[in-house]
Amino acid sequence: MIGTLLAIARKDLIMFFRYPINAVFRIVEPIMWLTPAFFLGRGFSVDGTATGFAAYTGTGDFFSFILLGSLLGAYISAVFWGIGYSLKMEMDSGVLESNWMTPVPRLAFLVGRTLTSLVVTTLNCTGVLLASWLLFGFSAGGPVGKAMLITLPMLAGLYGFGFAFAGLVLLMRDANTLVDVSSFLVGELSGRGFPVTVLPRALMVISLVLPTTYGFDAVRALLLGTKPLLPLGVAAVVLVGFMVAMLVLGGMAFSAIERVCRARGTLGMH
Amino acid sequence: MNERQDAVEVVGLRKVFERRARRGLLRRAPNGAKTLIAVDGIDFRVKRGEIFGLLGPNGAGKTTTIKMLCTLLSPTSGTARVAGHDVVREAAKVRSSLGTVLTGERSVYWKLTGRENLRYYAALYRIPRRKARERIAELLERLELAGRADELVEKYSSGMKQRLALARALLPSPPILLLDEPTVGLDPQAARNLRQTIFDLQAEGKTVLLTTHYMAEADDLCDRIAIIDQGKVIALDSPAALKEGLGAKEGVRLEIQGEPNGLGDALRAVASVESVAVRPSANGVGTCELQVITSSSRRSIGPIIESVRAAGHEVVHFQVVQPTLEDVFISLTGKSLRD
Repeated sequence: MIGTLLAIARKDLIMFFRYPINAVFRIVEPIMWLTPAFFLGRGFSVDGTATGFAAYTGTGDFFSFILLGSLLGAYISAVFWGIGYSLKMEMDSGVLESNWMTPVPRLAFLVGRTLTSLVVTTLNCTGVLLASWLLFGFSAGGPVGKAMLITLPMLAGLYGFGFAFAGLVLLMRDANTLVDVSSFLVGELSGRGFPVTVLPRALMVISLVLPTTYGFDAVRALLLGTKPLLPLGVAAVVLVGFMVAMLVLGGMAFSAIERVCRARGTLGMH
Repeated sequence: MNERQDAVEVVGLRKVFERRARRGLLRRAPNGAKTLIAVDGIDFRVKRGEIFGLLGPNGAGKTTTIKMLCTLLSPTSGTARVAGHDVVREAAKVRSSLGTVLTGERSVYWKLTGRENLRYYAALYRIPRRKARERIAELLERLELAGRADELVEKYSSGMKQRLALARALLPSPPILLLDEPTVGLDPQAARNLRQTIFDLQAEGKTVLLTTHYMAEADDLCDRIAIIDQGKVIALDSPAALKEGLGAKEGVRLEIQGEPNGLGDALRAVASVESVAVRPSANGVGTCELQVITSSSRRSIGPIIESVRAAGHEVVHFQVVQPTLEDVFISLTGKSLRD
């Protein structure tokens, strides 16, 4: 199975670099997005500290807060785009059926298609961290290993979410809008670009229901010393529960929708 | 698949599609559900090592049948077994036993080279790397793609893409091949070469189930043919037996000038005429072709020509021919395969 997943990723990487300008731009563009945030934060800071922001989060380091949010948000997008959009691309280019006629389980295709997204995102993130260190003086002084560990169940849970989402793409035969809207909403409501405690009560309820919120929050608490919403141990339990539930439910939802599409005969349609 | 087992067994296979018409963005139109019976309880068996054809016009249910056999579509009812495995309950085993080429040329990645495509699909079939390398080289050579194996597929001709799709299907050395309209879109030479490849595959012991709407192709290639129309198998036998089934019947081809308004009915009224199919001629000069099945061309030629003239038409071309599979189809359905 590992060999199959790697073959899917290898194929995607080859095709990714067949469009070299796009490939270079994809790796460089997040640095461009972050630069305005840095200067905006500076504009609101007094003596290098955003004091109002510090009252909400426990840190005055506005830029590092945004930077970590962006990096984690990039992984959310990678899973959403890797699963939903790539499925739609295969439907459009007519290769979905030739792939699905092989004995490989269909969920394996979905996982395989995210690997290249994750590799590209990791390249992005590495570049962004390096640029942020060189240009904006970013440094994280917490337990990096622990922070990475806590993101794993969050990422795995997102895969489960992505499976259900892929089912929706299969059913609706639309990806761009679905991926754009859901990836944006999940990212923003999880606190990618701001502390969720600033949200109005109705929106904050939604944020607090999203397990990804606790993932973002825990990583920032570990690396930047922000005030966490939940004790870190509890956040970890929430994220592991999210992972198990979403992997099971997402897998079941995808299989059910795929059965419906097979009955309707819409698998190869776009 | 054991020695005595049929390669493909289809019993009472049926596929019904329900299409719901919508009024506006979300609301369903009242009484808007339309039912389309694409495959209507068909039965057939394909013997091991046989080339078996599903012959029928577009929309007859051939591709739907192939898609059910390769597990892309679930049957509404009935059963189908491929290499002894049930297509619903043992879908993964079915997919391991099959090589399938669906119609159209977009079943491979255009932004990969031919070799990269095959390497990718070999991994999906879990062929060990060294063996895959040998198999890919062998298939590229065999399908005359070796010289351009490292070019992007987007630069290939239609025939090359079709051959690459066949190479993809042959990668795991499957005992059974499903080919949906394998020669559609190919030039005559490429189609002839592909037909020869299919014969070669049969000589190696493979079972081939193909669909086509080209009678000559079915006649030339297939050991047995199931003629399918409106989702039903209406005849099943060897091409020779199907043609013999017409007995002493003969085919008469008539090309007339202009539209044949009502002429078909007039010809059907001629005593020895059994069926008539009308279709526009392909020569682009505004003529029509009538295919007439008659129990005796000798007795019917005179009345046929009289009827044509009485209807105010001029006979451009007239020919008595040995029955073809198309005549069999016309005799069974009263219409041409290209209608």
